[in-house]
Amino acid sequence: MANLKTRGSFTKLYTWLPILILYISVLNEFDLNYLNLKYFSFNFPFILIFFFTLKDFKQFDYILVFIAGLFNDTVVGLPLGISSLSYTLLCIATAYIRNITIRPSPIKDWFYFLFIISLINSLNYSTLSLFFSYDLILMNYLVNTFFTFLFYIIFASIFKYYLKGLNV
Amino acid sequence: MASSRDDFIIAIRSAFLKKSTQQKFSLLTLVFISISIIILSSLNFTAVRVTKSILNELVYRSSFIVSIPENIIKNSYKEILEYTTFFNTFKKNRAELEKFKSNYVSNEIIQYENKELKELINDFVSSSDKVLAKIIVDHDSPFLKSIIINKGSKDKIKIGTSIYDQSYLVGRVVEVNYKTSRVLLLSDLNSNVPVTIAPQNIQGIITGTGGDYGQIKYIKSGLSEKLTDKSIVYTSGTGAIFKSGVPIGTLQSFGQNSVNEYRVEFYSDFSQLKYVFAEIITKKEVIQTETNNIDGTDESKNPLDAKLKILEDEKNIIEQSNQKFLEENDNLKNQINDLNNKILNLNNEILKRNRTISQFDLDKKELDFLRLNLEYGHKCRKSFLNNKGFIVGSDEYRACVLDKGRIDG
Repeated sequence: MANLKTRGSFTKLYTWLPILILYISVLNEFDLNYLNLKYFSFNFPFILIFFFTLKDFKQFDYILVFIAGLFNDTVVGLPLGISSLSYTLLCIATAYIRNITIRPSPIKDWFYFLFIISLINSLNYSTLSLFFSYDLILMNYLVNTFFTFLFYIIFASIFKYYLKGLNV
Repeated sequence: MASSRDDFIIAIRSAFLKKSTQQKFSLLTLVFISISIIILSSLNFTAVRVTKSILNELVYRSSFIVSIPENIIKNSYKEILEYTTFFNTFKKNRAELEKFKSNYVSNEIIQYENKELKELINDFVSSSDKVLAKIIVDHDSPFLKSIIINKGSKDKIKIGTSIYDQSYLVGRVVEVNYKTSRVLLLSDLNSNVPVTIAPQNIQGIITGTGGDYGQIKYIKSGLSEKLTDKSIVYTSGTGAIFKSGVPIGTLQSFGQNSVNEYRVEFYSDFSQLKYVFAEIITKKEVIQTETNNIDGTDESKNPLDAKLKILEDEKNIIEQSNQKFLEENDNLKNQINDLNNKILNLNNEILKRNRTISQFDLDKKELDFLRLNLEYGHKCRKSFLNNKGFIVGSDEYRACVLDKGRIDG
């Protein structure tokens, strides 16, 4: 790790990697569905934001997360501000759980994540249907929530390795 | 109890308001900003519109750049797959091309006839230019089916502009920026297109399903039983949102049991789009010209010239076909002549053979006569003892020998 610290720009890039990945994922909208499975999709930014804000990762600035939300709305074609609100609500949820948790447990975090993303997706669905008259398939939202929940534990273990690399 | 409620309030307040050392805004501020943006973006203020347009331009370009590596990998994979089936596809395409070439001329004639008929009923004539547009963002979102193209208000794209893949309809523009536009695909749940189903001539509306096919809605009850597999779905032009007669797809039945349900398989594969055509339409009212006016004003000359050109093309094609037929005819004539000569030769040969055969028969008869003559000649020859016989060499003598010496009284 000492070796890493000596390499100035590389270290900087490494520490900013999560936010960089967040921006790439909102701009690219990748969902790894190359097999074109019906309904399959998951929300990678949710996993990333939840994990790193829960860990209070210093490079994960709320304003950057907020701007990423605006980018996501633009790329997907949703009304501007919807994803920003979702991401901000996710940050609030993680800030709350961080405040009330004395002894963190990955499993508890995982199920709390499911509760939060279900709540946020419901809010999203309701807002788009009621206020913006969008026709949306509820099944897409349910499957998206389920797979996001399922993938969280996998990505969380990968991110833990990343944090170990930073000595956090 | 009170203590636990206090803890909850403190935790909530902390979550909303507390800023860490690195954070520049509290989360509550960001929530308020988000809500303000949502409200503002739904209002149609010029400042908001311009800001939104600038943001869209920036984000679409960034998204295009960020997607380059993924697109390179995806395209390489597709290209490899295409190479493996290249020859078969080529053969199929060549056969199809021949078929389409023959249909092309008649289609153009129909188009010009249609134009003339529209002029007769004093309708409008729409002259359209198709602008080639590149798709810069085509992320397949599970919720909304749309693509971003690199043409915008600068290229006269408007909200509602129809977008085509070759001549097939793919969708229409729902958001226009200066140099980019968002196209809502036909497969999106929010897409509704008035269509005609041929050959039954049934009117309906096709809506997206969020998948890669569409469904027919709002058909008059009873008419849905008339639908058949492989019926063609094209735009009806009702509501003047889309031009009439643009092909969309074919009906496919997927119903189980006795009740057949139909879905529309789009002609165009939306996941494979790279370039599309945006149709810039300019409508102009047709001033009805006098039918006797033959000196040719600009309005009447152009369609007439165009029709003449088409007819000339058709004439050329017919002449070419005639030439082909004449050449073929000559060839056939030559072949017939050759065959006749062959037949003549063969007849001569047969005649020759027949002669030989008859000569052989004569020789055989003579031989038989000589043999019988040796045996029965004495019975038929006229002599002192046989006064009933005949003179040697006479026909009677010959008949007697052949009759084995029997002399008829």
